[in-house]
Amino acid sequence: MAGPLAPAWTPETTTGEESELDRPWVTVVWDDPVNLMTYVTFVLQELFGYDEPTATELMLQVHNEGKAIVSSGPRERMEHDTNRLHAYGLWATYQRDA
Amino acid sequence: MRPFRRRGDELVARLVDAEAGIVGLLLDQLEQLLSADPVDSGGDPVLARLLPPGHASDPEIAADYRDLTEEGLRSDKAADLAMVRATLPPEGGEIRLDDEQARAWLRTTNDLRLALGTRLGVTAETEPPELDSSGDGADEEGSQLAVYYWLTAVQGSLVDALVAGRGGRR
Repeated sequence: MAGPLAPAWTPETTTGEESELDRPWVTVVWDDPVNLMTYVTFVLQELFGYDEPTATELMLQVHNEGKAIVSSGPRERMEHDTNRLHAYGLWATYQRDA
Repeated sequence: MRPFRRRGDELVARLVDAEAGIVGLLLDQLEQLLSADPVDSGGDPVLARLLPPGHASDPEIAADYRDLTEEGLRSDKAADLAMVRATLPPEGGEIRLDDEQARAWLRTTNDLRLALGTRLGVTAETEPPELDSSGDGADEEGSQLAVYYWLTAVQGSLVDALVAGRGGRR
């Protein structure tokens, strides 16, 4: 599998197609009726190292707006982040940044 | 139940006999579900919630993600479950957890709540059942909902105890 060895930075000489590829991916956490607010905040701190105010703000965004972007970067990393969130039972998906 | 509290390096709670029995039973059910053949269990809404798709709208990406992660996710959940079972006093009594065991309890109690919540159709508007004072206690769904809220209290106390400990060690 390709990935970690590829350069993280690409010069901006781009055609439309390339910039489409360069667009980062994001991991999204969705609101669900079961997960406790305190638990979601705890997990965001635990997995991403966010401080308490940042994690709380993201949790509230999930709760009030239905979803929040909790991380962004290359596809493989967003896959991994989604997987770690699923291990904690959060409802998460990854996608190309809109 | 005496909720989780931090005591030194440990997280400590106490369950009575009947509570420990219910947790044991729920663990058995979850274990069965997680070890079910993925093909046979396709379409089970509980399993779909425990092993959700990785992409909201692109089935190809979601399938890639599942190929890559589902087996690992199942075995991690099974390992958490085994850790909870090993630290659960079967006849009730004190539970003492280190930080790693506490995380296994967090994830597994969350999976149990997700499973129950999905089966019962819990929404943001769902409220705890009224205590049944008539004495017939025949309402199966009401008693499952009571178990759900009991698990919520257990998990909530564990989160609070972990958060309090983190603040104290800074």
